[in-house]
Amino acid sequence: MYSRMKMMDAEAGISKDVLIAWKKGNVRAFEMIVKNNMRMAYSIALGLVGNPDDAKDLSQEAFIAAHHARKSFDVKKPFFPWFYRILKNRCINFILGKRRRREISLDVLVEREDHGAAPDRLVMKQENREALWRALQSLSPEHREIITLREFHDMPYREIAAVLSISEGTVMSRLYYARRALLKALRRDGAVHGLEGDE
Amino acid sequence: MRYLDGEMTEAERTGFEKHLEDCDQCRRALEEMRALRCLTGSVAMKDPTDRFWEDYWKSVYRRIERKTAWIMIVIGAVMLLVYEMSRFVRFFGEITVEKTAAVILGVGFALLLVSVIRERAHQYKTDRYKDIQR
Ligand SMILES: [Zn+2]
Repeated sequence: MYSRMKMMDAEAGISKDVLIAWKKGNVRAFEMIVKNNMRMAYSIALGLVGNPDDAKDLSQEAFIAAHHARKSFDVKKPFFPWFYRILKNRCINFILGKRRRREISLDVLVEREDHGAAPDRLVMKQENREALWRALQSLSPEHREIITLREFHDMPYREIAAVLSISEGTVMSRLYYARRALLKALRRDGAVHGLEGDE
Repeated sequence: MRYLDGEMTEAERTGFEKHLEDCDQCRRALEEMRALRCLTGSVAMKDPTDRFWEDYWKSVYRRIERKTAWIMIVIGAVMLLVYEMSRFVRFFGEITVEKTAAVILGVGFALLLVSVIRERAHQYKTDRYKDIQR
């Protein structure tokens, strides 16, 4: 199940030698790098832009841009945080620009496979999943990305901090505001029960 | 927040739980966040098909290859053009400011043309892609 895959697992297969070979222009090395990072790249892009086709396009374009900019990559550092800046820029320009040609897809979230562990929880209806996705897409890009990393990738604060190049303290406070915003968006929508609260 | 995400140490947890016992505000905030976590924790993003991932790298590779080809074509065309134009100018006598300006102007127009063609080609590609997606 890729969505729960840890980022470090994605990085594990990439040795420094591969990064060095890639920097010299070795396409086989680049293939390894892309295959190791594509799932992560795709799903974060999906969290940001909301549509699977756009997420695929944008993440692929980001890999191509990264390949052309490889001279500026420092092989002593991990690949993903460097790459992520390129990817994020593209996604944000895309959201702000008029290139957006497809609507937010609502059929993105599915029931977690390992969800059976908690039988007391209600099985979430499709419309609730759609409401959650819609609410997520109504947040700011920074809130969207941090929710995606934390909730859909189960990433610990330390790894989120590394990917976003921010401190763990910032991760914590941003996550707090992101969750508050998500809660607010869900309440506004009124579609998800059990979150009405007593404000 | 850290409590909920399992980012607290054992000692911090105990301390926080003790605080929760007599702080209504924190308890209520925690309940809300817990409900939200329950919701987000029960879903995952849809996993694309194996086919999707097989095509993924191939498509990236094709696009890199094509971009390199394009760059080479453009560089080659520009070099050829510059050479031909300078020969043309030399043929008509010695180099003057006027002739140099004419060459620069010519190259500028050629570059503009190539750029427009590239843009059109790109637009055509994305438009076609859009139709397929529908
Ligand atoms: Zn308190």
